Amino acid sequence: MTPIAGGAALNLAFGFSILTVISLIFYTRSGDQRLFLVGQRLSLTISFFVFIATFILSYQLMISNFDIDYVARYTSLETPIMYKISAMWAGQSGSLLFWLFILSIFATITVIQNQNKHHGLMPWVIITLAVIQMFFLVLTNFVTNPFMPTDADFVVANGNGLNPLLQNVTMAIHPPTLYLGYVGFSVPFAFAFSALMNKDTSSLWIQSIRRWTLVAWLFLSIGIILGGWWAYQELGWGGYWAWDPVENASFMPWLTATAFVHSIIIQEKKDMLRVWNMVLIILTFTLCIFGTFLTRSGVMSSVHSFTASALGPIFLSFVFIIMIVSFGLMYIRKNDLRSPRKMESFTSRESGFLFNNMVFVVMCFAVFWGTLFPVFSEAVRGTKITVGPPFFNQINIPIGLILLALTGIGPLLAWRKTSKESLIRNFTFPILSGLVGAAIFLFLGYKGYVVISLSLCVFVTATIFTEFARGIKARTNKFNESIFVALWRMVSKNRSRYGGYIVHLGIVLMFVGFTGHAFDKEKEFSLTVGESDHVAGYEFELIKMSEAERANHYAWISELRVTDHSGQFITNLRPEKRVYFHKNPDVNRRQPHSELDIYSTMNKDIYSIFSAVDNENGIAFIKIMVNPLVRWVWIGGYILVFGTMIAMWPRKES
Amino acid sequence: MQSNKKFMVMIGGVIAVVIFWIGWVSSNPADEKAMATFVSVEQLLDDNINKRTKLGGLVKDGSIVISETNYLDCTFILKEGHTELAVKYDKTRPDLFKDGAEVIVTGQYLDGTFYADELQTKCASRYEGDLRDENAYNLTEIDT
Repeated sequence: MTPIAGGAALNLAFGFSILTVISLIFYTRSGDQRLFLVGQRLSLTISFFVFIATFILSYQLMISNFDIDYVARYTSLETPIMYKISAMWAGQSGSLLFWLFILSIFATITVIQNQNKHHGLMPWVIITLAVIQMFFLVLTNFVTNPFMPTDADFVVANGNGLNPLLQNVTMAIHPPTLYLGYVGFSVPFAFAFSALMNKDTSSLWIQSIRRWTLVAWLFLSIGIILGGWWAYQELGWGGYWAWDPVENASFMPWLTATAFVHSIIIQEKKDMLRVWNMVLIILTFTLCIFGTFLTRSGVMSSVHSFTASALGPIFLSFVFIIMIVSFGLMYIRKNDLRSPRKMESFTSRESGFLFNNMVFVVMCFAVFWGTLFPVFSEAVRGTKITVGPPFFNQINIPIGLILLALTGIGPLLAWRKTSKESLIRNFTFPILSGLVGAAIFLFLGYKGYVVISLSLCVFVTATIFTEFARGIKARTNKFNESIFVALWRMVSKNRSRYGGYIVHLGIVLMFVGFTGHAFDKEKEFSLTVGESDHVAGYEFELIKMSEAERANHYAWISELRVTDHSGQFITNLRPEKRVYFHKNPDVNRRQPHSELDIYSTMNKDIYSIFSAVDNENGIAFIKIMVNPLVRWVWIGGYILVFGTMIAMWPRKES
Repeated sequence: MQSNKKFMVMIGGVIAVVIFWIGWVSSNPADEKAMATFVSVEQLLDDNINKRTKLGGLVKDGSIVISETNYLDCTFILKEGHTELAVKYDKTRPDLFKDGAEVIVTGQYLDGTFYADELQTKCASRYEGDLRDENAYNLTEIDT
């Protein structure tokens, strides 16, 4: 019964999405206020039925109703309750419904928030959102329905169960945060589209979406970082980023969105770059949809290998339709998009922003190129050539370093034109610090990119500190405040600016962490109890091996005593080899899994994997990796989140 | 107007540099592991391709042999359709590597053996569970 209700809710939502679009299009023709109100309420009704469908599916997952195909595929009676809920986004149809659910939350917020605001923009905003909802409703209604009954002529007593790799807290929250980011860009896109329809592309639409954009950007960033963190903790290859097609799929919209976050500041302040901002938001949104396509179509083989499905062509057509309609509309509106002002000088804040924007887009293109290289090479040369991480690193490291340099240079440039005197005044200290840093790193024996990257980190940090110091000094002189009061007031008066600087600081720390990758060491070896081996100056002694049967798996546990070259005790590591579904009589259905153990410090991580066990001879096969500075990446991530929160914190209404 | 033209030139210059850079890296990868050609096992054997390639296929049942002296040394037979190929791999094997697993290997073919340095397994069976696969379910069938 309830599954039918879920399906019916999706049907109704689809119907209401059509009605919303029709009534609002009539409103834009006739101007009858009643039609606008109807449209508004119809749009809330779409979301309402989507909520109902979502709650029904999550309830069915919780009570393990295996009559629903989706529930039987992704959960079993033993699945812990938390992962029963997270199974909502483990599979295809569920995750599409979940996407729709988030979109409906955002649509509801947008409609309610703007009930009495932006009357000119709202009709087309609602239409755009309703069309996106309609697209996902078509998918969940007609292509992969999450409420499909189990297609079997027997009673399903227990379900498949969730992949153990996904039974992890990070994995339960990583997809939703990424989705919040992906879906979040629908709202700025809707406003942009509406501005185009209304022939008003000045800064009005930009003001109404600034915070939305930051929220979406924040979630996308957190989603990406959590994904890396999960890969590092669970997958056991010792890294957090592999340039996998699906990772790239989330990174590309992040790059264009980051460019957008920067360039809207110029449109807000100077009413410049109208065309450019339109292009960026359209690109960002289509890349979000394209990302879903890459993840779901099976075009690319990747660790995220989802099976091929009928969704590919549908998504691709949707991407093309959005691009054609939006860019076509931009072409029609090209006269309205002409900005009234022009760039004045190369050494201005505007041109700094423009440069940074171009580099972001260039990087996005480079990632796009590498991700689709197999497709291009097959089309051109007839051979499918895949490119691996070395390719992406080679191409992106220089681009990334240019971006890092611009992070430091941009904020020091003045609007319109920077005079020679102020150029010298602003840049002397940061450049000197960078040079001193470079000298020290060269003296320590580092080479090439490592020196460039680390000294740029010093340079950028110095610029950020000068900015803060200058602001504080101005206030302490003027208002006679203490340093902390001055800092507090300065930041709260100009949240977006100083929040932005804090985000920059987070990025710098992440770059320090990325640079550490150049010094990674790894070794694989086998040990019996009492034996030991060396990796990167550390000694690993196997002191114990034990076994344990736990609720949903069986585990072999090794215990390694780690000492440094002087024999000083560092830590004990306990990586495990586990077998999930170990009671399954069919050996092939049991699933082995290596649970790793990491000893982490600011300086380096010692990463241990128990790759296999030879029970007869009591031999443990161990893989050890020593990864310097990884922790800086995560700390940088926290700072990035903190800075973004400051930047988007609402002002007191005054 | 003048300054706008300058900016256009600058933007054009940046784009030219970037296209050159991407093209250059694409044709001169710094690391030999940067690129691999995806071919079928049959194609590899027919053309005797000795550059870096990527192959996909199934692990032939019962073909995995692990060296007695070094647990990491492993050989197996990769099957794609009816074509078979011996593969040698000497690194930590993924958890899901076993008989019948769908794998992607990257490496080099030399004198009848494929020396792989990357081995990826696909885990389609649990991620997108196959409904018709009754083993997946612990079923209790009703008498009909």
